[in-house]
Amino acid sequence: MHTRSKMLVTVIAVGAIALVGQKSASKIASAARQVSTSEKAADIVTPSSGGSALVIPDTTLAINSPAPMSERVVHYEIDAKYDAAKHTIDATETLTYHNLTGQSLDHFPFHLYQNAFQPNATWVREAKRDGNRDTSYDKWKSEEYGSEEIKSIEVVGQGDLTSQLRYVAPDDDNRDDKTVIDLRVAKPIPAGSYVQFKIVFHDQMPLTQARSGWKRDFLLGGQWFPKVGVWWHGAWNCHQYHAATEFFADFGVYDVKITLPQNQVIGASGVQLSSVDNADGTKTVTYHGDDIHDFAWTASPRFKVRESVYPSQMGPVKLRFLMQPAHWDQADRHERAIRETLDRFEKWYGPYPYKTLTVVDPEPDSAAGGMEYPTFITGDTSWFAPNGFRLVEIVLEHEFGHQYWYGMVATNEFEDAWMDEGINSYTEVKVLDSMLGKNTSVIDLAGITLGEREEQRMSYIGVADLDPMAQKAYDYYSYNSYGGITYGKTASVLLTLEGIIGEDTMQKAMHVYFMKYRFTHPTKEDFLKTIEEVSGKNLRWYFDQAVYGSEVLDYEVSKVDSFPTDWYVKKKDKKDAKKGGKDERVYQSTVWIHRKEDFVMPVAVEIKFDNGETIREHWDGQSRWTRFTYQKKAKVVSAELDPDHTIQIDRNDFNNSYLVKANRKPTYKLSTYWLFVTQWMGQALAWWGV
Amino acid sequence: MSENKGLLSSGLAMVAGNKRYIVWFWLLNLTLAEFGTGAFRRSAHAVLDHSLAADKLVHGFHLATLFELFARPEFGPMSAKTMPAIYFAFIFLLATALFLPGVFEGYASGERLLREDFFRACGRNLWRFLRLMIIAGIVMAIVAGALFGLQSVLLKKVSESTNEVLPFRMHMASLAVIFLIMTALRIWFDLAEVDIVLKDQRAVRKSIWAGLRHTFRSLFGLLANYVAITIIAAIVLVGGLWAWEKLVAPESVLGAFLLVQIVLFLLLIPRFWQRGVAVSYWQQKMMAPAAVITPPPIPLEPLPVTVPEPTPPSPETPPSTPGM
Repeated sequence: MHTRSKMLVTVIAVGAIALVGQKSASKIASAARQVSTSEKAADIVTPSSGGSALVIPDTTLAINSPAPMSERVVHYEIDAKYDAAKHTIDATETLTYHNLTGQSLDHFPFHLYQNAFQPNATWVREAKRDGNRDTSYDKWKSEEYGSEEIKSIEVVGQGDLTSQLRYVAPDDDNRDDKTVIDLRVAKPIPAGSYVQFKIVFHDQMPLTQARSGWKRDFLLGGQWFPKVGVWWHGAWNCHQYHAATEFFADFGVYDVKITLPQNQVIGASGVQLSSVDNADGTKTVTYHGDDIHDFAWTASPRFKVRESVYPSQMGPVKLRFLMQPAHWDQADRHERAIRETLDRFEKWYGPYPYKTLTVVDPEPDSAAGGMEYPTFITGDTSWFAPNGFRLVEIVLEHEFGHQYWYGMVATNEFEDAWMDEGINSYTEVKVLDSMLGKNTSVIDLAGITLGEREEQRMSYIGVADLDPMAQKAYDYYSYNSYGGITYGKTASVLLTLEGIIGEDTMQKAMHVYFMKYRFTHPTKEDFLKTIEEVSGKNLRWYFDQAVYGSEVLDYEVSKVDSFPTDWYVKKKDKKDAKKGGKDERVYQSTVWIHRKEDFVMPVAVEIKFDNGETIREHWDGQSRWTRFTYQKKAKVVSAELDPDHTIQIDRNDFNNSYLVKANRKPTYKLSTYWLFVTQWMGQALAWWGV
Repeated sequence: MSENKGLLSSGLAMVAGNKRYIVWFWLLNLTLAEFGTGAFRRSAHAVLDHSLAADKLVHGFHLATLFELFARPEFGPMSAKTMPAIYFAFIFLLATALFLPGVFEGYASGERLLREDFFRACGRNLWRFLRLMIIAGIVMAIVAGALFGLQSVLLKKVSESTNEVLPFRMHMASLAVIFLIMTALRIWFDLAEVDIVLKDQRAVRKSIWAGLRHTFRSLFGLLANYVAITIIAAIVLVGGLWAWEKLVAPESVLGAFLLVQIVLFLLLIPRFWQRGVAVSYWQQKMMAPAAVITPPPIPLEPLPVTVPEPTPPSPETPPSTPGM
């Protein structure tokens, strides 16, 4: 275990090295002020000059690791008081920031996420324009209002700088948006040194939106405190809160005290250190988190708690389930889903290092279900949840998967949402296929079936030509396009990649990627290059189209034709050719394959003949079409593209094959169903109408 | 209770004695539905017939394949498939209104109704029924609108409860109340329909008032009959769907077709049974008692009293009785 001083020396050394390669560009346009190295040198004031040295703790209380696992940049110490009647939070926050940027910093942007829930905020405007998962904002309700106000901010050693705060809108210049505030410090913070902010803030939590806020007497405290941006690739990365975006933050240590009414059952990120009852009917609960980049909590007087231990590869993990009373009979189902998911993630991708995982079954109808925060997830169910409808498993698996891709790998969700949501959707398909069956992992009820991979593909094909995966999350054509591309396309693209490099190789690549890049904020190229390195293949042709492009793949068997080579012989002679009822004639058969859209990739074609023979062809897809011609004593029965069904991104599955002799059964079956509906509708109308 | 049993059994006897009506209505609905599903069938043939992917629809019910079919531009918009189905369902409603007077006439008549009498009843009552349908539609729409509005307010209140199951229970309970009230309205207008046909009532309003009076007068008995029959219909529907899922192989299109048609045929019976109950009730309670024609009393003029001469009794003639 490192001592504090050792760590300080190490960090300063790292900072000095990084300073050599510094880049000075700020993402925050309105606050950008380039300061030359010489100017900065003149202003350098070490924070320690004011007295005690600042450090980021190297604690490991909340992880099953003897040493910190991430490069810790921040240490948040928050003391919050929750007023359950008013849904407000009053808190003090001490943020210690370690400047590992390699250059001195003269301003710091902070996220104030709760300000998103105001009528003129960018979040609400976008949600109204593009639609949103939780609310359509047909009418503005006063309880939907949320706010996050910094009452005061002091920089230790520089005094109260509240007057230096300025709201900025780097993404859309919306002056009414208050989700990012920028603080210009009086004296730049030198590379390698620490700075400490003392903030007093007040939150008005909204009726739950975007998985944050209150519903009845329940609260989900997500994105509730001022959070500093991330210095990333030479600039501050601190985007406004958008309707489609999620989050990005630095790793660090969290020490959080929450004071709330004693009747509330609370759960939070990290490990609980203590709970003390106060004389005024409140209690103060203290939490600690290591190597995490956010802190969320929840409270409700009605949670029923179930606890157990999962033996992970790195040590015991305390599983804590906070269930709604009406769902208590589903606690087993919740725990089973989490354990089976953990098994597979640890086996396939890497170990889960944290000591806790809190699973919250949120208030019904609260728009708080299906959310991830470090070591803390929310599920989604209702009192009626038949086993054949797998919403419970899907949501829990998905949110747990985020512990890896959002929680530990921690990509930039504003700019590369597909690297979290999409990769997570891919692993969701893999895990759910394994847990619940390939074709039944979403629905397996009364003969009706649906698989997760199909659901992902369905969400993609409707928006296939609208956006590339490599797109900022707030720049998508629509909310549907964001969902279809970010989740559905990414999953489908990676499943298709399995067909190119092999399923085992793909799994290995995912393992290498996780182990190599956890706690590092990798970029898309880090991910793509890892796959190329592990597979030993140049996959640029695929990534350029699938990841960076919006090309659409649609191959079709456009025509199949067989005719006898003796077609010109008279009818009587033809009969002679059919000796003993067996057709001995030679047929010329042709199969035409057409690439209808602009995505080019090699594809296999399987042609079946009526003598039982099967031929496999391969086409590189470079030209717009190709044809395969055969002369055999047999006619073509069918032709099928991608017979192994490895391509998940083809927009139209129906035209991937051609049966020469029509099979009318599927239509008859559907027509029978439709006939039933129509007749029943007529009878129901006549029942009440006359 | 015994009266309820009487209505139920006599209503059912009417249905049983006139089974051909059910068969005709079933055939009519099947024919209309065939037209209604034509657009769907043609579009599905165009996409599915030559595709191996369609096979997933045969062996099970593969939702993704179905959704992809609906999403294909060559399949066309779903509204182009649903609207014909709705139109033809509406035509079945109108056809039912057209032929129902004949059915009532047949139920009321103790013997097999002649075809010309059936159609005569239909023709005679066509405009009366249309008028009655419009009035019934307006009344039912107003009441249903008010009830569902009330339900929505109630559910909004209840949705704030911390008991998650309460809104569902309240939803179900309120639906049950709405069902009972709407069924009472249906009884009212069923009685009015029967009254129009069997009384040959040109003044529709008189039948409406008569139906309303009797609905109030015998509400609980009639409602119990109607609800009991509806429960039987619900059992038939649920049982039919269960059998469809459990007993018919996914690949068996013919099996599914036959089962579905049996279920739909059986589902026609309960509503006709309810109408039989209405006819039976009308006959028992609403039919004016048969007029007894009694000749006016003939004024008896006092006959002149003549006192016959007493004659000595003849041994051949018996003595006469006075007043005969």
